[in-house]
Amino acid sequence: MLSLLLWPAGLLFELLLLVRSVQTKTFTKYFYFYAYISCIFAVSTGLYIGRSMSPSFYEAWYWPTQFATLMMGCGVVLEIVRQALPAYPGAERIARVASCAVFAVTFCYVEWHVASRTEWSTVAATVELERDLRVIEALVLFTVLAIVFYYRIDLGKNVTGMIVGFGAYVGVSLTTLALRSFLGARFNAGWGDLQTMSYFFALIVWTVALWSYSPNPDPPGGGGGSAGYDALVDGTRARLDSVRSQLGGVAR
Amino acid sequence: MIGLLLYLALGVGLLVFLWALARRKGAPVEGCGRQFVEARQALRTLQFGLLPESLIERIFDPEDFRYVTAASPGEIGKLFLQERTRISLMWVRRVRSEIRNLMHFHLAYSRLHAKLSLLTEIQLALDFAVLLLACRTLRMLLYVRGPYGARAMVGVLTAAAGRVCAASEKSLAFLNPPALESFRRDSAGHGAAI
Repeated sequence: MLSLLLWPAGLLFELLLLVRSVQTKTFTKYFYFYAYISCIFAVSTGLYIGRSMSPSFYEAWYWPTQFATLMMGCGVVLEIVRQALPAYPGAERIARVASCAVFAVTFCYVEWHVASRTEWSTVAATVELERDLRVIEALVLFTVLAIVFYYRIDLGKNVTGMIVGFGAYVGVSLTTLALRSFLGARFNAGWGDLQTMSYFFALIVWTVALWSYSPNPDPPGGGGGSAGYDALVDGTRARLDSVRSQLGGVAR
Repeated sequence: MIGLLLYLALGVGLLVFLWALARRKGAPVEGCGRQFVEARQALRTLQFGLLPESLIERIFDPEDFRYVTAASPGEIGKLFLQERTRISLMWVRRVRSEIRNLMHFHLAYSRLHAKLSLLTEIQLALDFAVLLLACRTLRMLLYVRGPYGARAMVGVLTAAAGRVCAASEKSLAFLNPPALESFRRDSAGHGAAI
């Protein structure tokens, strides 16, 4: 019931986001993100109209379109990685390496898990695929956030909104999918409502955060040259060594 | 069941991280010059203010305590010990704070370097963590056993120093080579090696 109420409201928010992206000329700046919103908007509108004409249309098209939007969701993660750290090549490099490692490890695990299955159904496979993709997205977001916190990187309002909105949706989806696989069909109603609410929350966050263009603050000048990194590391190590040996002396 | 817990932990952990991100005030955008000044200040404070052998000897040498207890009543000795503990705790706190300054300096600069190495960063992060942990442990030992009871730390700290020594032969050329070369020459006499 709640899902049915939030559905048209969500469509309005999606339309508003797309209109604002054109007005503020941010559609091309955050292309993957708006491509995701456009895809969701097209799919949701199609399903909404189709459902009002024939209920069987919705049932026939829900899972295939869900699969498509899931894939497009990876584009949002890509957009976040692309937008959050471009001014910090070092941090971006770490994020890229760590994200690739996360993706490879999770993909291998899922492949192994799927290969070991004896039963197969499209719905169950899509639900599991969604959960596995959410795990990848959550781990990549974790990596990006850990780097943002560790290196004290300041983010703009747009990127913060993208991360908070999508992260909340992914976090709730992951939690509810895990509970659904544990509790079974009796959790279906709650699962649907929680997912819809979290997506609606994400839409509100995105609408507020992306209302106007607000890029990431420029990093302080200096550094940046690739030749300087070795010297920086050596300098840091030398200072660490100095402090450590002095502390060792204290303990004597 | 374990899978469920892992998924739940991941989902809830992500939400907690997001909450922290949403609550975070804008990280300070330090200027290049200010960072250099702070790092150099931290380095100077450590080398000349906190780590010279003479100062460390003065704070942690038990000879002073032996002299006071031998030459004055027990109460004076107790008071001396209390004061020395307080000073040593203050000293550890300051050292820890300056180490954190140096760490922030390193992070602020390494994030801008395209050639940054993941492995090196992890090693350095561990080194900083170990050093900060050593400071905390030392502080606890000082609380519990007083300024003259930290001998057990010797093995751990000297071993850790040896490991890092092998990788840290090069100088601090990137900051300001001529100035640091003079630091190195000057500091030799004080015993605070760079």
